Amino acid sequence: MTSATKTYFEIQLDQLLKEHYLPEYYYVQVRQSKAFMERYLSEKIELEKIASTAFMSRFHYTRIFKKVYGLSPRQYLKDLRMNKGKELLKQGLTITQVCFDVGYDSLPTFCNAFKKATGFSPGEYQHRNKSNPE
Amino acid sequence: MIKIHVTSVPVDNQDKALKFYTEKLGFIKKTEVPMGEYKWLTVVSPNEQNGVELLLEPMAFEPARVYQKALKDAGIPYTSFMVADVAKEHERLTGLGVTFSMEPREMGPVKMAILDDSCGNNIQLVQML
Repeated sequence: MTSATKTYFEIQLDQLLKEHYLPEYYYVQVRQSKAFMERYLSEKIELEKIASTAFMSRFHYTRIFKKVYGLSPRQYLKDLRMNKGKELLKQGLTITQVCFDVGYDSLPTFCNAFKKATGFSPGEYQHRNKSNPE
Repeated sequence: MIKIHVTSVPVDNQDKALKFYTEKLGFIKKTEVPMGEYKWLTVVSPNEQNGVELLLEPMAFEPARVYQKALKDAGIPYTSFMVADVAKEHERLTGLGVTFSMEPREMGPVKMAILDDSCGNNIQLVQML
């Protein structure tokens, strides 16, 4: 689409992209690290390792990730794990199995994190979603 | 914990909108309650049928009509929906006769496209990259 046929909105987007966005390669690198977290969320993964998949130092990576996605990589990974946990609980897996499948090695830590994220304990969440299936 | 229960798009014709949002976009009708000339009409995502409802709200207030038209003419989306793959949705919807004012393009961490909902609004489809 040429600029003559672009809408006002798209022209604004072009300007934003030019003046305020990071260079394209940053997005590509950070995306790689995001894919890495999605793939290995069931394992214990350190921030250094995640940052290395984006070819950045830990501190630079954390700053860039937050700028791109609006939250820290640690929080992103936690959200990812909680969402996966919700999915597995709905499927009827045991809480212990879910805990290990989403990368936690301590049941109390998983239960606390789950309650903080969803407002329900894993057991309550599973019960509600079994009696009220989506 | 507070949460979003319903959000809305203004539509020029509720029956036409229901057809578009269900048959083309793929939402499912959740509630249809007659309210005089209009109705309380909501749709939901098939994957989140107990999630946020989208109210297809009748456009019956003249100043709002002016606002809606100004957004439409400027190509500004009224609201935005998340999809897994913008390019695939674009292809599928184009095949169903839906028109786009903006083809899929990357914008930092997202890919997006803008379609015409045929009820007076531009709707943005977003994919997180």
